[in-house]
Amino acid sequence: MEKRKWTIFLVCLTVLFLKTEFSHGERAAQGLDRIILAQSAPDDEDFEDELSFVEEGVPDPLESINRAFFIFNDKLYFWVLKPVTRGYKAVVPEKARLGIGNFFTNLAFPVRFVNCLLQGKVGAASEEFGSFILNSVAGMGGLFDIAGDAGIRRYDEDLDQSLATFGFGPGFYINWPFLGPSTLRGSFGSLGDGYLNPVPYLDSTGTILAVESVKVVNHTSFRIGDYESLKRAALDPYVALKDAYYQNRLKKIKE
Amino acid sequence: MGKRSQLSWLVVLVLALLPASVYAGTPTEQLKDTTDKILAIVTDPALKDESKAQERKALIRKAVDERFDWEELSRRALGRHWAGRTEEEKKTFVDLFGKLLERTYLDKVEGYSGEKVSYVGETVDGEYSTVEARVLTAQKTEVPVLYRMKKKGSEWMVYDISIEGVSLVANYRSQFQSILARSSYDELVRTLRERTKEK
Repeated sequence: MEKRKWTIFLVCLTVLFLKTEFSHGERAAQGLDRIILAQSAPDDEDFEDELSFVEEGVPDPLESINRAFFIFNDKLYFWVLKPVTRGYKAVVPEKARLGIGNFFTNLAFPVRFVNCLLQGKVGAASEEFGSFILNSVAGMGGLFDIAGDAGIRRYDEDLDQSLATFGFGPGFYINWPFLGPSTLRGSFGSLGDGYLNPVPYLDSTGTILAVESVKVVNHTSFRIGDYESLKRAALDPYVALKDAYYQNRLKKIKE
Repeated sequence: MGKRSQLSWLVVLVLALLPASVYAGTPTEQLKDTTDKILAIVTDPALKDESKAQERKALIRKAVDERFDWEELSRRALGRHWAGRTEEEKKTFVDLFGKLLERTYLDKVEGYSGEKVSYVGETVDGEYSTVEARVLTAQKTEVPVLYRMKKKGSEWMVYDISIEGVSLVANYRSQFQSILARSSYDELVRTLRERTKEK
């Protein structure tokens, strides 16, 4: 089993390497796009502004597999997650769901804390620490965001963002079944952050699954309608999701 | 002339030299005006009824048209493919894309239930400006919204919105590129037509 994990890891690295190689070609093509844009834009000012937010998209060599998983996740949402969440919402009042949400956010403190430090954001790390202590002690184990009410904020950092700060490119887009949009770098990030999540250290697999499920369903209970909205607004929902994921990531990395 | 009247002459002179657009309002003020107008329509009890739906939509559409530059938005969303299109094609595209966006916007805005909107920042660079707003949701989270605007006469017109860092123009551009890469412009227009026919 160990050997298998290493093999997969090495295959991923190799692919990442290859990707970097022939993404030069893609970058060249995108450079060409900008030149064409320059020649076609009559207004110089407009061109300047255009360039300022023409971001490179994330490479997607696995598009056909990703699209297949997109359809899978789509069905999973409508046939399983959404009905379960609706049932959950009907039984659990909003205040309780907010509390549960706060609890899990508080539990994710190690991930945010460590990654703030990794990125040299010491001030943010100390604010996170303060928030964690205050909420855990005075906020009934994290159910209440006392710190938030007092103006102490949290910083949504993770390993994907830390790796990006170190200079790692995203690699390429991976749309995981169940887990949803990510990148090669993001997936390693999630793997790493996983070690800082206390839940997998619980004793029985049954409990772990139950807790993680509650986390997901509770989180979704505030977001029913978002995915449907994206689909309605999009001509190609797969691309819309991929682009939205990537743009949002870029923003988070910048902060 | 006394010192006092010299000063008043100076003031009059300076005021006369200022461009008229200074009085039209800052980007934030103009945006806030339009947003307030739209939210007032959405929360108006007299327009709540189903029978008033068409009227409500028409009023919202009118307010939105005052602030959103559909052509600029469409041009940027189509990116490098805009230049090669005929005037007729451009007009059709702006019309269809506008319909799609309008429908999306109406859906979103009709779900408004009193969330507080605060305007936290503005940058102006010649003809371009950005306004940052924050929407406070019921779950006490703040959603950052960035408006990009361009000056047209005395009005600041929106040509892009970014929600949580996701630019509307960029998002549609990537979708359009993808469709154009594997089919044709006519196919894109056909898809747009199909999507805007539903409802």
